[in-house]
Amino acid sequence: MKVNKVKLAAPNVIPGRRTFLKGMAGFGGAAGGLLAGINDGARAQGAAIPVGQAAPLTDFAAADGVEFRNGLIMACDEINALGGILGRPLEPYFEDTRQMGDATNVQAVQRLIDRYGVHAVINGYNVGSGSAIPDVIADSGVIYVHYDATMGHNSLIASDPERYYGSFQGCPAEYWYGPGFLDFLRNIEESGQFTRSNNKMAVILSAGVYAANIANAVRDQAAEFGWEISMFETVNVPISEWGPTLARLREDPPAVICVTHFFPADLAQFMLQFVPNPTPSLIYMQYGPSLPAFREIAGAASEGVLYATVVGALQDEIGLAFEERYKERFGANAGHNSGAQPYDGAYLWAVAAAMAGGTGEPDEFDQNRLVADRMRSLIYRGVCGVTRMNPEEQSARAFPTEVTDPSLGMPHQFLQIQDHTAGGKLIAPWPYDTAEFVKPSWLG
Amino acid sequence: MDVTLQILFSGLTLGAVYAVSTVGLALVFGALNMLNMAHGALLALGGYACMWAMQSLGLPAPLAALVAMAVGAAVGGAIFVLAARPMLGQEGFETRIFIATIGIGLVLENVIHKFFGPQPQAQPLKLDGGMMFGRVNLPWQNVLIFVTAVLMMVGVAMLLGRSRLGRAIRATSMNRDAAQLMGVPIRRIYALILMLSGALAALSGIMISSMSSLLPNMGADPMLKAFIICVVAGLGNVPGAAGVAFALGILEALIQYVFGVQYAFAILLCLVIVVLIWRPQGIFGEREVIRL
Repeated sequence: MKVNKVKLAAPNVIPGRRTFLKGMAGFGGAAGGLLAGINDGARAQGAAIPVGQAAPLTDFAAADGVEFRNGLIMACDEINALGGILGRPLEPYFEDTRQMGDATNVQAVQRLIDRYGVHAVINGYNVGSGSAIPDVIADSGVIYVHYDATMGHNSLIASDPERYYGSFQGCPAEYWYGPGFLDFLRNIEESGQFTRSNNKMAVILSAGVYAANIANAVRDQAAEFGWEISMFETVNVPISEWGPTLARLREDPPAVICVTHFFPADLAQFMLQFVPNPTPSLIYMQYGPSLPAFREIAGAASEGVLYATVVGALQDEIGLAFEERYKERFGANAGHNSGAQPYDGAYLWAVAAAMAGGTGEPDEFDQNRLVADRMRSLIYRGVCGVTRMNPEEQSARAFPTEVTDPSLGMPHQFLQIQDHTAGGKLIAPWPYDTAEFVKPSWLG
Repeated sequence: MDVTLQILFSGLTLGAVYAVSTVGLALVFGALNMLNMAHGALLALGGYACMWAMQSLGLPAPLAALVAMAVGAAVGGAIFVLAARPMLGQEGFETRIFIATIGIGLVLENVIHKFFGPQPQAQPLKLDGGMMFGRVNLPWQNVLIFVTAVLMMVGVAMLLGRSRLGRAIRATSMNRDAAQLMGVPIRRIYALILMLSGALAALSGIMISSMSSLLPNMGADPMLKAFIICVVAGLGNVPGAAGVAFALGILEALIQYVFGVQYAFAILLCLVIVVLIWRPQGIFGEREVIRL
């Protein structure tokens, strides 16, 4: 499906470089200026470069899928306003992956390549995605950036880097949620912001590789941080009645409840049913609280909840400017954190392609290898922080758990809902934090 | 004591949610021998229509619920006009309408997606707060869902058992041709049943979305559970379906507490298999399940 784009107007007269860069300040973070510089004032007016996205535009993940689409559209328009890639504008195409099973994902990506001849596929996530898409990509030779956040990607690339040279994961794998969370707990304990009432931690997950991998990572390393897993419960989704689970939690109250299931409505119901008779437990949830629906449904019961993401727009100058542009264009309730993923991915690819002398179409393996080489070595500062690939696994490195230098890894952000009428406050990691951790009301 | 109360409240809540999901589906199958696979989409449509009436038209909650039921009834009527009526009397009606309503459900779901977007939204029609029994909280919303489920079932039972229309419906469900020969306006009965089912589905959708959220595909899971309950009770048996809904709700809550949440649905499905081996027509059913 071709997109009706709202194009940013290209200047009628090519401006001086300084004026041009000033006008485009903020586009794509630091990379916007870099791309404009490489384009050297060229206008995007050559033959269009097709770029594709396979996203869940319908079905249960459509809320994110629509934002992935918006993020790529916005990136393409901005990149075109910066001169495209060496003067060639980007033209986005989209295919629906619905429930995101491998069969659907592969068909969608194959259509993008066969029907539109895309030079790159810039996705958000497809939770059911396994090794199938990288194989389609490898056979066609084009570039693929995704945000599946899966260790499966790392293993696959490491198994045959020559074949999978074009597949990149723009964020750290989900595994890093585990050690990152345990490290975060240690930090707030050491700084005196939180005191555990006992050593027990309850882990609640849903059936699915993503939630299970995070839960397993927490469970497997909990003992190293002095935690004992008192409950490890898998729930069926959707789940709206948490009474039996809460009854078990109340019988043996843990100091921390870690929920890796991520549907916002389900998590909101958990809080609504937890708060009337709470246990003295810190509550950490996965992803769901980042969506406005969580706060709308849970209301005041959402206040105090911690959540995290390994990829999301930062609350700094670049991230806030992106959020403002995004919401101005797509509406006040638009989910800019999801849109930020393919937005950053598109810039990463565009800058690398410009540095490599241009993009490669399907079957142009040599040119695409040059682009991939640049992507592997590039340090890109976007709205989600720093993207720097681990060259063996072609996956973004995580800060502060995988690398300790904030300029060399994507920040694993911890946020807390402190006011249910506003978004979460970024409380870690330094130097990106903008607020202090606040002890939830039920902890006294 | 607290645990027992919690399991009981959770079980009754689950049962009430299952019951409200099931009533419309059971009614249509019982009366028309028709599996309405668009039932899940009708649930979602009702939830969204209520939200729209409250937020865009500024109507109070009871009026908004009535608007949603009217929308559900209208769509039920449209299903009759566009799908059921042309197929009535044709060979293999049950199979044809089963497939047609799958398509109608998909269309409805995509229309909702188009107009309201994919983001989960809160249902504005809900009751805040609750009452404490010891240390167990019983939300007013759960009480509302329970009461609604009971009223819906009593209302449908009275309609079927004690009214002239109900007699016509029962006659139609027993033998369509004989009923027609006796002067029952078959087509009007079919249209009324589908409209009534649509209205009930809309009310159910409001209740279900108040416990979770509004999503275009929010009806899929309740539809699955409703279908299982209908099969166990005996397809088309409304009071039986209601009883089974509450029994399964309490059993599910108990299994969740004793064995863990992950085992509840699997154990329930095993029990369903056992029941169907023992009574293929369902616990309260009088004829064998139609195998499509």
